Amino acid sequence: MGAHMDDATYKKDVSTVWRVTVILSIITIFEVAIAMLHIYSPGFQAICPRIVLNIIFIIASIGKAFYIIAEFMHLRHEKKVLIVSLGVPLIFLVWAIIAFMHEANAWNHMKTLGGFGQ
Amino acid sequence: MSETLETVDTSYEAPEAIDTWSGGQDPMGISYGKTMMWYFLLSDAFTFSALLIAYGATRVSKPWWPDPNHVFNAVPGFHGMHLPLVFVSIMTFILILSSVFMVRAVQEGHRMNKNGVLVWMALCIVGGLAFLGCQAIEWTHLIHQGLTPQFNPFGKNAEGLTEYGYMMVDGVRVWNESITPGPSTFGALFFGITGFHGFHVFSGVCFNVWGFSMAANGAFDKRGHYEMVEKLGLYWHFVDLVWVFVFLAFYLL
Repeated sequence: MGAHMDDATYKKDVSTVWRVTVILSIITIFEVAIAMLHIYSPGFQAICPRIVLNIIFIIASIGKAFYIIAEFMHLRHEKKVLIVSLGVPLIFLVWAIIAFMHEANAWNHMKTLGGFGQ
Repeated sequence: MSETLETVDTSYEAPEAIDTWSGGQDPMGISYGKTMMWYFLLSDAFTFSALLIAYGATRVSKPWWPDPNHVFNAVPGFHGMHLPLVFVSIMTFILILSSVFMVRAVQEGHRMNKNGVLVWMALCIVGGLAFLGCQAIEWTHLIHQGLTPQFNPFGKNAEGLTEYGYMMVDGVRVWNESITPGPSTFGALFFGITGFHGFHVFSGVCFNVWGFSMAANGAFDKRGHYEMVEKLGLYWHFVDLVWVFVFLAFYLL
């Protein structure tokens, strides 16, 4: 803690930060660009349906999250035991998302097809 | 005296596993404070996940949902123009840049460069305040359009409504689906989740101002390390991380 960094490590770390900044910016611009394309270009709508667009958005966001956690929060360079102890509990979320989206879909069907009105 | 200690030291060989976890060590390779900050952020991640999953489940359970490209289409200074995603993209960039400034502050802290820490932390705080300002503008705009936690004026055509789903036809009030208000939970979820995130931004700015003043007073130089800046940084990056998913859930999907 508080150890003085040598110049080579410092320069490498600073260049990593700017590289990650560029990556995060490019991903965000890409997301907004395809969203705009989808709004204004019927041709793009035809080749890229909403569901494909949403999957791209989700993957791009997870990519951004990865870079923020790994580089900005420095987790990639920490001990494995810390990474595992933080990562494993998040597995519960995967199940929570699947379960709730499945159930929500069922509620939707009940409302629209089951005669409960909207 | 010292000879006695040396003989004691060499005669005892603790097994590796006990040595790591028996106290007096940092098994995670980071200090106690940073470890606890990480686990706090893990618990906070679950809180935000619960809110966003509730939002997702509510949205999927509705036959339709207001189109974000119509709801969030305003930019300050461009009155009346249809500009989807523009303002929120600016907000996203502000928060990413603020996060970058924080990483730079942490790096300068590693070098014990007090002025570097102060400059980058100041920029980080300005970024946080700019984000909060943008959010205030966005909230004000939506409230003026009639969005409240109980009422959602964005109907199927995402136009602002003046009356609750009825229109007058030959003097008779007729239910008109095309001007039916949207799912009423939209406003509660939007204000609740972006508000909870905004509260994190606000508290992060407050902590950063406190850290800035500590650094300015030379408190971290006296301690011999800038670890507090690292802890503040972890919290600040987490705020940025959550925004990635709020941006995804409310504006992109």
